[in-house]
Amino acid sequence: MSRLYDTVEPSVIDEEMLQKAVEDQGPKEEAGKIAKVEGIDFADVKSLRLDFKNILKIDNLWEFSCLTKLQLDNNIIEKIEGLDTLVNLVWLDLSFNNIEMIEGLDKLTRLEDLTLYNNRISKIENMDTMTNLQVFSIGNNDLKDLENLVYLRRFKKLKTLNLNGNPFCSQPEYRMYVIAFLSNVEFLDYRLIDQQSKDAAYEKYQIPIEEMLHNEKQGELKKEDEEKKAKQLELHRNAYVEGMDGPSLFDMMYSDDAEGNRLKEMPGVDELILTFKEKFVAICYQMFEFGLQENEKRQEEVAQFWECVEEAKLENKEMGMKTIADFMVYKKKAFQELGQISDSTLLDTKVKEFNTQVSELWDKLMGLELQIVDQLEEVIKDYERNMADMVSTFLENIQGFLSQCRDLENIHHERMMELSIVTLEKVIKNELDEEISEDLRMLFVDKDTIINAVSSSHDSHLLKIDNKEDDIVTRINNWLKTMIEQIHEEQEIVRNRRRVSEINNLIDHLRDEIDGLEIQQGAQY
Amino acid sequence: MTAKMPSEEGKQNDASSEQNENDGGETSDLLGEDEDDEKQEEELSENAEALKEELAKIVVHPPTQEQLPKEIFDPAEFPDSYKENLPKENLVLQYSENFRRQYVHLYRDRKPLFLNPVNECGVEPRRLLSPTTILKRQKGNCFEYSTLLCSLLAGAGYDAYVVSGYATREVCLADESREICPLLKTKEEKMEEERKKEMKKYTVKPPKDLRSKFILKQEARAKSEKESEIAKRRQEEEEKQAELEKPPPDPLHGLRIHSWVLVLPGKREVPEGFFIEPFTGLSHPLDYESYLGIESIWSHANYWVNMQDCSEGVKGMNYDLGDCTQWEFMFNTDKPLLQIPEAEDDIIEGLEDEDGSNKGLRLMTEDTIFSEMDIQEELEKQMDMPPTWVEPIRLSRKDFEMRCPQGKKVKLYKRAKLEKFAHYLMRDGLICKLSVYEDRELTALIMVREYYAHREDKLQTKVYNHRTGIVVEYFNEGRMRCLKEHQFKASNPGPENERTMHFFDEARVDGLVSRIETPTEMTEHYKDREDFLYYKHVEFGKRPKKFGPQEGFGSNNPRPILKMVQKFHRNRSKLANEDIAELVFMCSEDKIQITYHTEDKRIASSTREYIKPHNWDEKGATLTFSGDMHQTFQVDPTSQQNKQVELYQMLLELLKAEDKCREQVRESEMEVVEILKDRTREESASELDISVYDTERNEKAKKHRRELERRQLEEKMRKQEMEVDYLAPFLAQLGEPEKLTRQQAYQLREDCLGDLKQRLIDKANLIQARFEKETQELQKKQAWYQQNQVSMQKNDEEEYLNYCSEAMFRIHILELRLNRHKENAPHKYMMLEQTLRQDPRLAEFF
Repeated sequence: MSRLYDTVEPSVIDEEMLQKAVEDQGPKEEAGKIAKVEGIDFADVKSLRLDFKNILKIDNLWEFSCLTKLQLDNNIIEKIEGLDTLVNLVWLDLSFNNIEMIEGLDKLTRLEDLTLYNNRISKIENMDTMTNLQVFSIGNNDLKDLENLVYLRRFKKLKTLNLNGNPFCSQPEYRMYVIAFLSNVEFLDYRLIDQQSKDAAYEKYQIPIEEMLHNEKQGELKKEDEEKKAKQLELHRNAYVEGMDGPSLFDMMYSDDAEGNRLKEMPGVDELILTFKEKFVAICYQMFEFGLQENEKRQEEVAQFWECVEEAKLENKEMGMKTIADFMVYKKKAFQELGQISDSTLLDTKVKEFNTQVSELWDKLMGLELQIVDQLEEVIKDYERNMADMVSTFLENIQGFLSQCRDLENIHHERMMELSIVTLEKVIKNELDEEISEDLRMLFVDKDTIINAVSSSHDSHLLKIDNKEDDIVTRINNWLKTMIEQIHEEQEIVRNRRRVSEINNLIDHLRDEIDGLEIQQGAQY
Repeated sequence: MTAKMPSEEGKQNDASSEQNENDGGETSDLLGEDEDDEKQEEELSENAEALKEELAKIVVHPPTQEQLPKEIFDPAEFPDSYKENLPKENLVLQYSENFRRQYVHLYRDRKPLFLNPVNECGVEPRRLLSPTTILKRQKGNCFEYSTLLCSLLAGAGYDAYVVSGYATREVCLADESREICPLLKTKEEKMEEERKKEMKKYTVKPPKDLRSKFILKQEARAKSEKESEIAKRRQEEEEKQAELEKPPPDPLHGLRIHSWVLVLPGKREVPEGFFIEPFTGLSHPLDYESYLGIESIWSHANYWVNMQDCSEGVKGMNYDLGDCTQWEFMFNTDKPLLQIPEAEDDIIEGLEDEDGSNKGLRLMTEDTIFSEMDIQEELEKQMDMPPTWVEPIRLSRKDFEMRCPQGKKVKLYKRAKLEKFAHYLMRDGLICKLSVYEDRELTALIMVREYYAHREDKLQTKVYNHRTGIVVEYFNEGRMRCLKEHQFKASNPGPENERTMHFFDEARVDGLVSRIETPTEMTEHYKDREDFLYYKHVEFGKRPKKFGPQEGFGSNNPRPILKMVQKFHRNRSKLANEDIAELVFMCSEDKIQITYHTEDKRIASSTREYIKPHNWDEKGATLTFSGDMHQTFQVDPTSQQNKQVELYQMLLELLKAEDKCREQVRESEMEVVEILKDRTREESASELDISVYDTERNEKAKKHRRELERRQLEEKMRKQEMEVDYLAPFLAQLGEPEKLTRQQAYQLREDCLGDLKQRLIDKANLIQARFEKETQELQKKQAWYQQNQVSMQKNDEEEYLNYCSEAMFRIHILELRLNRHKENAPHKYMMLEQTLRQDPRLAEFF
């Protein structure tokens, strides 16, 4: 176990220690010599060993962003920390330390091999993100509770497990329990689990395991269902008709409508609202169907556009590559010739010829680039126009549907008005058959109040419909705008810049090469 | 296989012309002398004067077929059904004679029908041999061939008919020398239509063509003119050639009688009707132009005469045999008639009244006393044909495998000769040899293609091209090193020469597809390798001259390697800039050149070049590295520069890769040498591969089987000896007659049973006697003991007691035996009786 603090001074992970470790563990022999001269970047180091260093605190490792293997065994570390930047770690060894709790490993999602052997851990926890874990060693710790092991079921790839030397190992059912509940594990405590013991363990814990499996299955199904629903909703959102397949818009109209809700109690309103709702929802559903259809059309259009753009780019790329390949063949031949020419005038003409060829190559490549720029520009323009048309027809239709909704609302409003006047008269004459609540009675004090209440309910309904319309219009217009902008930016500007700079880079390189050759030749004579 | 065949036979022969024997199916001469004469007569009547002069020129030859030795069959060879007619058959003959007479009466200008020819047991030469005989002799004329083929087809359930008609000279003589050999016919390559670029909604427009349209037009016109001229010239040449190769005009065109097989659709999923030429076995469409006309067709059930016009060959012929306006049948048929009988009977009768010549053929003659209806009825009763008189057609496995007489056959085609051999006939496994010639006289050889089967080295085809001197061998799967195709120059078969080898790449661990060699180069293609390598090219230099004795192509003195090129497919798990596309080891210049793959969005690719350290090939030496040994071009100028140590490690890896590549090249060279060695060994010892299931040819299996048979026989012998014949002594008493009479049989049975009874009684008596004797003795002893009991000593007493117990035991045993015997004896008796009943010699009497 741990050594006492006062016997040896704890050390700190510092520049010096890291530098030394890196150099010691880096390339050997000639490569080492070169590396030393050049210096080693910590960011390039793939594996690092810091064992028997009496380290107390993990620190200063943030520079090792490429590290895949880290050994920190045989130190006096008490807390796992400072590893959040080492996201590429695959192999982590923290054995023979004084760790009491598993923590600070959340960012290490690629971890496959984790060793916490010989520490003071009493609970397995905080490891949910390590979905790739294959080997886990937590022997010689302070684990007492067997049921804590069920936690390890979430690691589907876990094949090797070491629990030896924990307090619960002395329990007679320990091994059976582990085998039964962690059925994926193949090696337990350095030994292969044979089929016989697997069967026996399963038999022993059949009932709890079945139950657990059932629960897990249920959980999975639920999750799947939720995902499916979320996906569906996402699709509806993209079609701008989310919730239109139900009465959500209708419900929304009444959600902020105090008067309307109060008026619902008025006798006879029930039926009115029922027919109103029915018609309203039917229109909404039409809108929903239409929206999905349109969305599909739009998606298809988008896919077609991209397909054609990619095709055009590929064709252009192939032509460009062929041009370059042809030139490279020429270059090879030319360089070979140049190497054999000793006459300086002949050499000059040859070099000149080469340079003209290079210029020609530049012309050709730039020509190709110009060509695709033109082609794409045209196509994008077409696409933009078509998309705009599509969006506007979509909006027109949606607006048509919504105005149908408004008409319904108007009709409903008129009926409400009539009904409330009639009811008011009844209330005034005290002929009302049914009892009405105090709230409602308050509205029937005079004609203005009731008319105001009905009107405000109507206004609030119209407002909701308007809001919906605005929402759809803004969202789809935004979508169109961002998409077109992105296409312009990505396909026209960025792509063109990159290609032109690539061509220039290549041409510069070719010119440099011939210059270099000339200098060499010149130096010879 | 049993098959029915047309069973018209008789003494009358109506074959219109004499048929020459077709020797092995190769030639058939249907030259009709009669027709010749007729023709001359016609001419004579036209111009008698001219004829006189003509006659003077004509030298009359006696008919050549007379010289052919007539084959005489021994009637004893054939079963009775071949020699005698059953009453039913005679009836059929009567009908056919009746039919013939009506036919001749009504159609005086038509050729006599091919009805009731005699079979091999007849006397006259105009005959039709039975299919069994043809199969046995393996030769015959076209009618006999067709009959055999038709019998087989009908037996297998096809709707097949023998056709008697007219054909061209080439078909009649089985002369295929103007046909292209079927093996040479290249399968019509489906010209893959150039996939027209699909115009999608957003497909970009092609760049503007800035060339002058007028000039383009002019050029196109000039080009098309040139092309049409060339095409015209070619066509003319072809026509000329075709003219040259046209067969000479045939004076007997349209008169040559031939027979072939017609298969009609409907049965065995035949979608549409077709002809089968019996001499070649090839199928032809129903409008085959070499068949010039059909006289009649028949099957095992009926005979139809063609009533259709054949002036334009067999094209457009109707094969609806139920239509009696087009096919006149001999027997009433169960094929659906075109007319609905009741409704249209009147119409037919009416037609008969007006145009009796057409319909009257339905077996109505002057001497028929029955009314038409009666005949119809009677016919329906008698419609079933007599069973065939031909033995079932049997083909032994050996004959089937031998195919042709002696297992060999030679066929001549247009500029080609095809030789066929039966499997296992040739020692080297040759089954087919096709020679292609430049000219029709078959003198200038172009190419020879040999097909092999059952070879141990899996050689399938071998092609010698006599023009280029290139040999190509094709192999089947299953060879060591998975060789599939081997192409080399016959003059330079050794290693390090021009050759191309193709391999079964799926079977090879290294995925090698092909290896192409010239004296200084070697190119290899690979497929589906884990390291993405797909191409390797090596250039060799000249061997440094060595003094001393010349060494072979061993590893002692390999050719120096000047350059090695490796190409790789894109490995998507790597960045394009780090994924090597082409790796060139310039061994002669100590350089290594790398070209990387192109990134998806770019058109140029990064390159790298190393100069190898001077001491790279020293073992264990420390390799130094400096910046000027490395040059690179990065497509992305902003990309990070590699560190020196990385470059150094890369160099080390490249050096290792070079070593490995070099080793592989040497291995490839060795492999070529090994393959060539294998080939020479295989060529010299061409043992044929015999399947373990082939009991005929597998000597080992044969031996084993014989051994088994011998053992079985021995076993049987032994068993026979064991089984004692209990009737033998009694038969001997009767003087071992060949056949038992009833009385003798009864006697035999009685004796046998009596004997057993006697023996059983004897045995019972014997046991009884012993029992009694034992009892008596015991009683005597007991009496003795009673007397001397007082004076007896202890010894004697003991002795006595022992004796008593032993005697009692013996008596007991005897008692048991006696009882059991009494119980078993009746059973034994019954059993013998049963066995006697079943004895083959006595069974018939009981």
